[in-house]
Amino acid sequence: MKKHLKSIPGQGQNNLVYIFIILASLALPGCTKNFEKFNTNPTALSSAQSIAIAATAFGPLEQAIYSNYQIAQNLSADAYAGYMMSPTNFLGGQNNLKYDLVDTYNQHGFNDQYTLVMAPVSKIAKAGARTAAPDIWAVALLIQVEAMDRVTDRFGPIPYSKAGTSLTNIPYDNQQTVYQTFFKQIDTAVSNLQTYIAANPGKSSIGTGDLIYGGDYTKWLKFANSLRLRLAMRIVKADPATAQLQGEKALSAPGGLLAIPSDDAAIAQSGGRSNDLWVVTIDYNGDNHLNAALGTYLTGYKDPRTSIYCVPMTTNAQAYTGIRLGADVTKGNYYSFATYNCITTFTQTSSQLIMTAAEMWFLKAEAALRGWAGAGVTQTDYETGITTSMQQWGVSAGNYLSDATSTEAAYTDPLNSANNSPALSTITIKWDPTATNEQQLERIITQKWLAIFPDGQEAWADFRRTGYPKLFTVADNLSGGTIDTQIQIRRLAYPITEYNTNNAAVKSAVQVLGGPDNGGTRLWWDVNKANF
Amino acid sequence: MYKLYTVFICRHIPRIQNKLLLIMKLTLVLLISGMLHVSASTSAQNINLSVKDVSLKKVFKELRLQSGYNFLYNSKMLSETSPVSMSVKNMPINEVLDKCFSDQPVTYVIDNNTVIVKRKPSAVASTVQDVTVSGTVKDEKGNPIPGVSVRLKGTVTGTQTDVSGNFRLSVPDGNGTLVFSFIGYATQEAPIISTGSMNIVLKEQAATLNEVVVTALGVKRSEQSLTYATQQVSSEAINQVKTDNLMNALSGKVAGLTITPSASGVGGSSKVILRGSRSANGNNQPLYVIDGIPILNSGNANGQPGGTFGGSTDSGDGISNLNPEDIENISVLEGASAAALYGSLAQNGVILITTKKGKAGKAVINYTSSFSVDHTAYRPQFQNQYGQSPGVISGDVTSWGAPISGAQDNLKDFFQNGTNWTNAINIAAGSENAQTYFSYANTHATGIEPGNKLNRNNFNLRETANLLNNKLTVDGSVNYINQIIDNSPQLGIYSNPLISLYSFPRGVNILPYKNQYEFPDSVGAARQNWITHTGDDHQDNPWWIINREPNTAQRNRLLMSGSVKYQFNSWLYLQVRGNVDRITDDFEQDFYSGSNSLYNSNETGAMKLSNQTLTQKYGDLILNFNVPLQHSDFKINGLLGGSITDQETQGLTLGGNLATPDFFTPANIVVAQPGTNSRPITSNTSAISPSHSQLQALFGDLDFSYNNWAYLTVTGRNDWSSNLSFTNNYSYFYPSAGLSVILTQALKLPQEISYAKVRATFAQVGNTIPPYLTNIQNTQGGGGSLVFNTAAAPNTLKPEKTNSFELGTDLRFFNNRFNFSFTYYKTNTLNQYVPVNYSASSLVSTGYVNAGNVENNGFEFILGYDVFQSHDFTWNTSFNGAMNKNKIIDVDSKDNINTFYLTNDGNGYQSELVKGGSYGDIYAPTLVYNAKGQVMLSGAGTAASPYTPEKSSTYNYVGNPNPKFQLGWSNTFNYKQLSLNFLVDGKFGGQVMSITQAFLDEAGVSEVTGEAREQGGVKVNGVNSLGQPVSTVNAQTWYQTIGQRGGITGEYMYSATVVRLREAALGYTWLVSNSAFKSIKLSLTGRNLIYFYKKAPFDPEVTMSTGNGLSGVDVFNQPATRDVGLDLNVSF
Repeated sequence: MKKHLKSIPGQGQNNLVYIFIILASLALPGCTKNFEKFNTNPTALSSAQSIAIAATAFGPLEQAIYSNYQIAQNLSADAYAGYMMSPTNFLGGQNNLKYDLVDTYNQHGFNDQYTLVMAPVSKIAKAGARTAAPDIWAVALLIQVEAMDRVTDRFGPIPYSKAGTSLTNIPYDNQQTVYQTFFKQIDTAVSNLQTYIAANPGKSSIGTGDLIYGGDYTKWLKFANSLRLRLAMRIVKADPATAQLQGEKALSAPGGLLAIPSDDAAIAQSGGRSNDLWVVTIDYNGDNHLNAALGTYLTGYKDPRTSIYCVPMTTNAQAYTGIRLGADVTKGNYYSFATYNCITTFTQTSSQLIMTAAEMWFLKAEAALRGWAGAGVTQTDYETGITTSMQQWGVSAGNYLSDATSTEAAYTDPLNSANNSPALSTITIKWDPTATNEQQLERIITQKWLAIFPDGQEAWADFRRTGYPKLFTVADNLSGGTIDTQIQIRRLAYPITEYNTNNAAVKSAVQVLGGPDNGGTRLWWDVNKANF
Repeated sequence: MYKLYTVFICRHIPRIQNKLLLIMKLTLVLLISGMLHVSASTSAQNINLSVKDVSLKKVFKELRLQSGYNFLYNSKMLSETSPVSMSVKNMPINEVLDKCFSDQPVTYVIDNNTVIVKRKPSAVASTVQDVTVSGTVKDEKGNPIPGVSVRLKGTVTGTQTDVSGNFRLSVPDGNGTLVFSFIGYATQEAPIISTGSMNIVLKEQAATLNEVVVTALGVKRSEQSLTYATQQVSSEAINQVKTDNLMNALSGKVAGLTITPSASGVGGSSKVILRGSRSANGNNQPLYVIDGIPILNSGNANGQPGGTFGGSTDSGDGISNLNPEDIENISVLEGASAAALYGSLAQNGVILITTKKGKAGKAVINYTSSFSVDHTAYRPQFQNQYGQSPGVISGDVTSWGAPISGAQDNLKDFFQNGTNWTNAINIAAGSENAQTYFSYANTHATGIEPGNKLNRNNFNLRETANLLNNKLTVDGSVNYINQIIDNSPQLGIYSNPLISLYSFPRGVNILPYKNQYEFPDSVGAARQNWITHTGDDHQDNPWWIINREPNTAQRNRLLMSGSVKYQFNSWLYLQVRGNVDRITDDFEQDFYSGSNSLYNSNETGAMKLSNQTLTQKYGDLILNFNVPLQHSDFKINGLLGGSITDQETQGLTLGGNLATPDFFTPANIVVAQPGTNSRPITSNTSAISPSHSQLQALFGDLDFSYNNWAYLTVTGRNDWSSNLSFTNNYSYFYPSAGLSVILTQALKLPQEISYAKVRATFAQVGNTIPPYLTNIQNTQGGGGSLVFNTAAAPNTLKPEKTNSFELGTDLRFFNNRFNFSFTYYKTNTLNQYVPVNYSASSLVSTGYVNAGNVENNGFEFILGYDVFQSHDFTWNTSFNGAMNKNKIIDVDSKDNINTFYLTNDGNGYQSELVKGGSYGDIYAPTLVYNAKGQVMLSGAGTAASPYTPEKSSTYNYVGNPNPKFQLGWSNTFNYKQLSLNFLVDGKFGGQVMSITQAFLDEAGVSEVTGEAREQGGVKVNGVNSLGQPVSTVNAQTWYQTIGQRGGITGEYMYSATVVRLREAALGYTWLVSNSAFKSIKLSLTGRNLIYFYKKAPFDPEVTMSTGNGLSGVDVFNQPATRDVGLDLNVSF
């Protein structure tokens, strides 16, 4: 063997050496040094490029607050707030509107805000926006808090401060922690915005990509303060000290609150999106109609906003008769009942409100009632709330403020008398300084409820927190005893997707919830005690 | 099989003493000769040898080592030889051989580098009554074969043919049988005909064509050393009956190979699966390798339908581009083991294609021309008793109306005969040093749907040269392919002419809509003229679709490859190879403004464009060695090598509504606005789909053999994949090991057994993941908006892994007349990348994890028999069969995921991988039965509330489309110049779904709906909501409930079993002497001629897509065709 090797011509041996050098060099890591370059998509964006065009992401982010509107909000919160009821017999009548909670609807009110708001915002953070673009980060945080507040107020404890930290076991925060985190995030947003506005007056990095304020940071600052006030009032029964601390901070904050209708936060339609109320009312052939409650209050008060908000029955142009929540809509043609005004008000292209100046005046009124510093005079706040709303909708208040006799009307269902009900409330419009705190609160919240229409999410939260306005109970309760008809629905059940993909965490969240995972369990801020 | 000569070095073991002595002697001799070598000039062909009384066998062994020549002989024949003594120095090999063979009863010929040992002609002296027999031996093409051994059976009397194939032999009397044998041909026996000339035609034996077979990387190995199953298909078998995709010609010819052609007209793709599907997310098709170098098998950027809706037209895969006439043979390496050396690309097996090259000698010109006519092989069955439903002005038009008297055949007004005309010419010529091969082929085909056309031109030039005293071999080829496919049909339920053609109301005249398929609207824009249009996206005028929604796909492909091989000496060579495969695809589809608003929301017209260039560069370097162990019974050979495969895709796709109506140019496409997240009113504009993947590898292969009867092969490969960068797993290793034993050489077996081999192999193959999965980046959407990518960046992702085990045997009996081969295999594909949807609060939209375990196990067999062999008539028959059982052992149970959807688009058909099920299981809504097996019916049984079958709330398992067992039976008959081949094949088991039938039932046009109405309703064993039995359900209610895409599609499952006459060819060869022509062969050919058994209303073999999904479903697929043609083959 050895001898034979010698017979190989010398040249061959050199070649051999050469070959092995080539082969060995193949194995060196140096050869794979371009691998990461190869595996980087040249048509995808780097982090810096992502930040540079981050403004373009704000429209979809803002629109995602109302993602899957019909099933995420309309067929739950809007209905439970006494605003809407559907003449469509969804799922053979076994649906949310009769307290038979439909997971495939309600899970969108949970999952969408994570996938379409929080996940993109976390990517903005990952791209370095916290330090590289603090103003962009501020607006992103505010959109996130606005969106996630709607989630926690539907479900209770949610994964928030630890969202995105694990793939399979994402811990839930109790609602107190969620709210504390919200306040901290508003602190960051306010501070970033103030710094940016001071250094770059009149400028903005997000510009027209922002469908809410067109990149006006001074308005975003007002929004931040207003959001703080809204959240502070929400927890007033559960954590009065924090509520007052945060509330007073908001009331005295530089930049101020939303004060006049031009401050209102509304998402403009863009990119082919249509107004959700128009979609559910017109495009979906009348799925969305007026709730009996809203009809009785508007009619009873002869409210000047009535024809702005609604169109009357097709069978009676004088009647703004809505449908009773949970009514059996197979008993006749309920599509003929009063519905939302999508002809002139909630048109295909009109913006969708998320927070109004009027709401702030009513919050100030309640704050004043509770004695919070900087809230002003209760009556003034209350009346400014009403007039601001009238302004917002372009109607004259007339002698509305001085109407001391009109009250909610009784409800008559022309198709099914079983749904009839006397009026539940005797509260009038005119401010009465001599009334009890409880009466004053009912007056404030009832008018707030009329003013913030159609934001059913906020209205349902107020109803649960204060018990106002007084709303008809569900006509047919299919909750199987989990939801008390009189107490009414307090929350939505966690989506099945959470039980499938985040099982341990959601199970421990139910422990924190303090009751079974159904619509009858009260949230942390929904304390079952007197308002004062 | 059919080996007359076998490479034996030692079979009969001499007495040990002798052997020892011999070894000592030889060692001494070799030592001396080795030393001499050092000083002597070393020409590989010149020999130094000094032996005394050594058997020829030993001498051959030594000569083989010194010269690199192989020796082919029959041991039995050699046992009759006497020992040799000689002492030579630097003597040419042929002189040495002459010396060895003097005074021996055997002689030799040198063929290429092989010394073939033969009996000496007429070794026995003639007797007084000698009779002279003469004749000619030719091959099947009529070419004379020189050097054929002609022997009188049972004697040593024999001769061989001369250069013209003629022989002349003296035999003792006029009786007896002559045995004709030649390497690479089946041995033939013929009774002596002493009057006149005997004409013998020898049949080529593909499997023995090469004693050595081409294995992975183009490395040649002796067949008996292979530890796994391979099957060869010859050029003749591929070209016998032409098709527009050459892979379709392999159907039924290879055990374990499942070919599923796409239903997309001429030039369509073909799905090729070896031993079952295994990868959920990845590719399941084999790697195609031409002359040792991998090529691309990609379709264009437009791709194929991704779901039952259809929408994309297929423009053929990569393999269909090749000119079948350029192929010398195809070798199918079925298992992962065979492919271990190709790595990731080859985990689904390898199809090795050896192409023709120039040959030294006289120039050969071959011209073939074939023409075939294709008809639809079946059509839907319609009812002719009931007409259009009254009162329908929009939406579906149905035929649930009043009785009519007869209805016309609308299909004949639409379908045409397809044609396929292929012309090919090739020229092979060359000298000893350089050879040239040139070919040109043109394929022109038209489909059964008007406007569907394929035109393909193939140019191929190959040059081979042997330089530096044959030490350096250079081989280079250039292929250029240009292919245009016009109007590839859209399958599925949108923009498919068949859906509205088939559903057209019975009894209504369709011709007005054919003759005038459009009319101008009020502003003069052309709009469709159709019986209905608004409100139903399924309904378009079929002639509008084929005239006003045209598409064209053009492909230009340049495939260049080169290799340089340097033979250092008899045991070592180095080879460097490389190729560039560059495919440029252009696709355009125009929708005129009257087209369905689905494609054309602004009613101004729309267009889709794509332009994609795929480039694959491959290079490898292989050092092949053959360790020179002279006096050992052990032999070691093997190779070491490295390779780089670099794939790059670049291109643009554009699409959208037009600004100026019906003006089809990219600049006229309307641009989308940014900030869109739902309900877009404008269409998407541009998307670029680049990718870049590189795979680097180092590999080695070691083959040990003992005494030429035991072989052990060990391989190892390490891959580095750029697609796995950003993870810690971008480098991965996988091994294989195999063992084969030739029992006929190791043991004394009965004489009836000519050859027996057992083999076993275990192999592992890794497979990388697609690019960019491990590096998550945001993208830019329409109008420049930021689109967040919230997928997880799984830096723990690993390559997919297949473990494969196979066990087999190859047996030949009765002098190789009967052969049998059997292989059992089992593969498990693990670590597949499975998409996981985590909790939304993880803030990750999709993650990928390694999971899954897909198992395939089964067996394959081949059985061949030369039934009849006479000098005028031969009949050869062979069967190949395969059984595959697929089982999804796990999807991703650790993440609570037990289902993976291959197709899930809500049209009553889902294709799934479900834990415990098998690949591609079909799920659908089903009827609901009570415990007594009665169909549950809702409704009151009144006209206002008729009994209606209830639909299951979930999708249930209804079948699996994959055949359980496949059998091919091929037969070859030769009678003088006449030949007949036919192939029958069957696929047994499995179930398929017809959404087409569901639509036709719903529309009331199908035959069954007519029959049901005739008998007063659908007969059921039903029960109403009160528990009362119901025996009849109104036909319209029944079929409109179970029919259409959203119905109870579980009722539309059919047996997938199909047995057919796949191919038949009847040919006649004219041998022409003293003319420019050498031979002319004319054949009558047919494909897919008869369905002996078919229960489904369509051909279950035809698929909507050759991807992983959409298996076993017919959604208005093009019917399969029956082709009849003529084939002319002329040799010059």
